[in-house]
Amino acid sequence: MERNSKEIIRLVQIEKIYRLKTLEVPVLCGVNLSIQKGEFVGIMGTSGSGKSTLLNILGLLDNPTKGDYFLDGEKVVHLSDKHLAQLRNQKIGYIFQSFHLSPHLSVEKNIEVPMVYARTSPKIRKQKARELADRVKLSHRLGHRPTELSGGECQRIAIARALINHPSYLLADEPTGNLDEKTGTAIIQLFRELHQEHRVTIVMVTHNPELESEFDRVIHLRDGQVVENIVKTRL
Amino acid sequence: MHLGDLVYLSLHNLFLHKARSLLTSLGVIFGVGSVIAMLGISGGAKKKALDQIGSMGIDNIILYAKELDKFSKKDSNENIKTYIKSYGLTDSDRANILAMDNIKRISNARNARVSILKGINRTNIDLFWVSQNFAQDAKCQVIQGRWFTPPDHKGAKKVCVIGKNVKRRLFGIGEKEILGRTIRAGDILFEIVGVLENIKGTKLESVDSLNDSIYIPEQTGLSFFSKLKGSTHVDHDLFIVKVKSLAHIDHTAKRIRSLLEKSHPKKDWGITVPIQLLKQAEATQNLFTLVMGSIAGISLLVGGIGIMNIMLANVYERRKEIGTRRAIGAQKKDILLQFLVETVLLTMIGGGLGIGLGIGLTALITHLSEMPAVISPWSIIGSIAVSTIVGIVFGTYPAWQAANQNPIEALKAE
Repeated sequence: MERNSKEIIRLVQIEKIYRLKTLEVPVLCGVNLSIQKGEFVGIMGTSGSGKSTLLNILGLLDNPTKGDYFLDGEKVVHLSDKHLAQLRNQKIGYIFQSFHLSPHLSVEKNIEVPMVYARTSPKIRKQKARELADRVKLSHRLGHRPTELSGGECQRIAIARALINHPSYLLADEPTGNLDEKTGTAIIQLFRELHQEHRVTIVMVTHNPELESEFDRVIHLRDGQVVENIVKTRL
Repeated sequence: MHLGDLVYLSLHNLFLHKARSLLTSLGVIFGVGSVIAMLGISGGAKKKALDQIGSMGIDNIILYAKELDKFSKKDSNENIKTYIKSYGLTDSDRANILAMDNIKRISNARNARVSILKGINRTNIDLFWVSQNFAQDAKCQVIQGRWFTPPDHKGAKKVCVIGKNVKRRLFGIGEKEILGRTIRAGDILFEIVGVLENIKGTKLESVDSLNDSIYIPEQTGLSFFSKLKGSTHVDHDLFIVKVKSLAHIDHTAKRIRSLLEKSHPKKDWGITVPIQLLKQAEATQNLFTLVMGSIAGISLLVGGIGIMNIMLANVYERRKEIGTRRAIGAQKKDILLQFLVETVLLTMIGGGLGIGLGIGLTALITHLSEMPAVISPWSIIGSIAVSTIVGIVFGTYPAWQAANQNPIEALKAE
């Protein structure tokens, strides 16, 4: 298959069927998707549209029943658990709705976690964590614990954590879902900055229609299929 | 994940819930503590027993006279007929035993059955006449003065050597120079020429404590005290039979036993084989250790199950953390090791505290009961090893559970 060298994600005829005893529930029915380097893509859909399943497949936490997934040109379906863990660690920067920080580790240690699994030396980890804390404007909070921070600050830490291994793209799951509107806007602003200034590729899964205007491209899912793929040109 | 990071994270988690960690490891703490204390005390008891038995001389066979029950009917009937009360080991026994193979020599002792006077008061100190090698064969050292010389024996000199406790019992504490002073036994005065000591304070049958008796040369005793009151007759109260080869001591003891059984049907004698006692004591101690080991094993098993239970609850509680770590790159192996290292560190810390507790308990018991205790380095090394093994055995299942959490489900957990 021909591949654009700038293509980071390519999904080909992805199907996902859940089997519940005798019942087969198709959740994704032939999703095709291509995401280029440097894109800021929103995946939207109502509850039950299959976006969580798509998110899990994109995030290499779940295997599709059928179809192919190419990440940076590498076919990544049905790999060993170890290989998938390494890919998640190196190529994907996860951002969760409820931050998922370790409440008892300091901000600095939280940012370092993916590098710990990459077996990076403590010295480099520390340096990198400080750089990223600076980038998300929280270098004054390095010694604090997440429980001492606001929701917005926690999400900034989570973003710093997602960036530490230079992933191919950030995969954000409703990153503003647990934040008030103002803080949510600030987080989206941070994503925009990362995207524009550092050409970070971002895939954001959300059901919040207000965010639609923020994306370069919006992919609408309904009943397990891509129903709209809107590319917007910004002025 | 580097080992350093694993240990850091595990210790961090353990110290986060200090009370819970402590309570969880209590089983191991008490298990190890009681093992250390019990092994320490039984080790001390064993050492004491073995020392005492060993101090009788492991290449010795000890034979002693037993006075038969005076009120035994059968006996008194016979005595009425003969009017002679004769018992104990005889000169012919001595000759017969000496004629056997594997016998190096026999040292003998006989209680003079005479009162020792302190001033005008009688004491209960015994006076023995003994053969030349007695001190050596009974593992005694002369700590002051000298032992008997051949002229003492031949000339039936009125000299004596006293056990070290006799000095304190007959003379004042301030008396330092007692060599040359005299002791009165019956009507006869003996000059003290030496003081001897048995370091272990060994007690032999029919001699009692070697340190509490007075000794005179055999010939002296025979000259002055061989005639007893009435018609009682005793040749020897004690033989210390020294064998040539320790390898055949059991056989030699058996032959002596059968010899005496023939010549003394009334069983007016007894036999002690220190090396056999030693083996018995060792076997008993080993059994004791085995039983205690089993009890300790059960307490560690219970402790381990407690730990496994808490760790399983811990895994359930930390599903969200597990899911997050898996999503951002932890392999199953990383999660497995994280939980396993946490459990092992918990049991190792428990083991360490248990060792402290055990040493404390041992010290306390020794202090209160004056029982000797020996804490061997092996019991400490063993405790650390066992607590590590408990951690591995009971930590593996919870760790496996943690590693095999479905990350998608785990991420959704509250």
